[in-house]
Amino acid sequence: MSKNIAIFLALSALLGFFNANAEIVNTNVERTLDLTSQLVKTTTRISAEDAAGKAIAEYVFFVAEPSLAYIAVKDSADKNVQVRKNDEQSFTFTFPKASAKQTFVVETVSSKGILPHPEEIRQNDKQFVRYIGNLHLYSKYKTNAQKATVKLSSSNILSHTQVKPYSVSANKITLGSYENVEALSQEPLVIHYENSSPFVTVNTLERTLEISHWGNIAVQEAIQMTHTGAKLKGSFSRYDFQKEGRSGQSALKSYKTYLPASASGVYYRDTNGNISTSNMNSGRDFIELELRPRFPLFGGWKTQYTLGYNVPSYEYMFSDGNKYQLKMHLIDHIYDNMAIDEATIKIILPEGCSDIKLSPPYSVSRLPNELVHTYLDTTGRPVISFTKSNLVESHISDFTLYYSFSKISLLQEPLLVSGFIYIIFVITIVFLRLDFSITSHSHKD
Amino acid sequence: MDTMTRYVSPVNPAVFPHLATVLLVIGTFFTAWFFIIVVSRKNLKDNSKESSLIKELLISLCASIFLGFGIVFLLLTVGIYV
Repeated sequence: MSKNIAIFLALSALLGFFNANAEIVNTNVERTLDLTSQLVKTTTRISAEDAAGKAIAEYVFFVAEPSLAYIAVKDSADKNVQVRKNDEQSFTFTFPKASAKQTFVVETVSSKGILPHPEEIRQNDKQFVRYIGNLHLYSKYKTNAQKATVKLSSSNILSHTQVKPYSVSANKITLGSYENVEALSQEPLVIHYENSSPFVTVNTLERTLEISHWGNIAVQEAIQMTHTGAKLKGSFSRYDFQKEGRSGQSALKSYKTYLPASASGVYYRDTNGNISTSNMNSGRDFIELELRPRFPLFGGWKTQYTLGYNVPSYEYMFSDGNKYQLKMHLIDHIYDNMAIDEATIKIILPEGCSDIKLSPPYSVSRLPNELVHTYLDTTGRPVISFTKSNLVESHISDFTLYYSFSKISLLQEPLLVSGFIYIIFVITIVFLRLDFSITSHSHKD
Repeated sequence: MDTMTRYVSPVNPAVFPHLATVLLVIGTFFTAWFFIIVVSRKNLKDNSKESSLIKELLISLCASIFLGFGIVFLLLTVGIYV
């Protein structure tokens, strides 16, 4: 009996293996690798076909980059394809419509894929970086033809993998097309080139949203950032930095942060106080904030600051009777091509909120709810907090927070102050009616 | 979501400073009145001291309500969103 079961299991496993592997073939793959910044952005256009003519409903995709931050798939009709994560490197796509031929575009963004090489440079040196990836699409299926286009930040390429056919034009390398690549083939692609863009990583972002039902949302972002490019070797000369244009090319001098157009009362400060080297330009759709840290950020250097502003509640809050909804960006733009290691978002609700439900746009890890005491609080305000690691610009999207709040609770704060003042008055009345004199003297004047 | 409307503050934030000024002025007026009554109480006879107590309590109640709301709107004006 057990032997029979074993044979049956082996047979079904074998069948399953053939079912999964034998049929799907990538007829054409076009890859675009954008290595101009610190992030590896890939766009992969895959045309897949089923050799047996069966409809493809699911497709397994492998990601070769070690630190994947974002993945999105669109089919030929520009519809979102459902992505299911199997493990860190493998994803299953489920198409909205199964058909024998599928064409879809996979977009991925990953951080920490480009590393400085050499790891330490002097102040006047250029920053060279090395990208190590796959020459072919690392795929579960056989690929008939594929081509890769690599976009670099400069035309100064020290070396790159030379598997014919390939061509180099200025800052673009075209690799391929390569025909009949077997499934799971791994050929390294190494590109060593100049990349002067500052490699800045936000280590921790703590974003606090304080909701007031008097019509305001206070946003505060506490940011700690590090230049994760080539480390500075030797001493820093302010004289060379000011005088020579070549000096500190990969250093972060200033950057732009975009705030919502309705932001007001913007502040930019650190532990020392206000950082005065900032400029604010109001645009039609956003506010452009040019921030210049207290010192240029060289490789390995850190800085931290706090950025805060107020936005009116009608932009982000919706209500229906006692039911409220807050719809806001989970994270916001900090600088172009940003990479955030760890973000903590805290939402401080007014006192007396109940039935709190959070619906994030992607999976986040919730932290336990806490209470915070600020001005005119009695029992404390509920705080919803959650964290998410490895975020990039593509993660800027809205979360929704549902909660109930009774409008009467709004009167609690003024009545608290009134009550306090009234107690002082009553104490005065009582105090003035008491007689504290030691001797009983009757004066009738 | 469809049935929900944009949430606006019950009081337009643009009138916060004016509201704070007016409420604090009225509150201070009642406070001043309260102290005048308290100071002039000594000249009254015993039976009218009773009616003076009710008057004091009522005037101080008015004063505290106006001052309480005035202080909250003052906080909102200066940017402490309670």
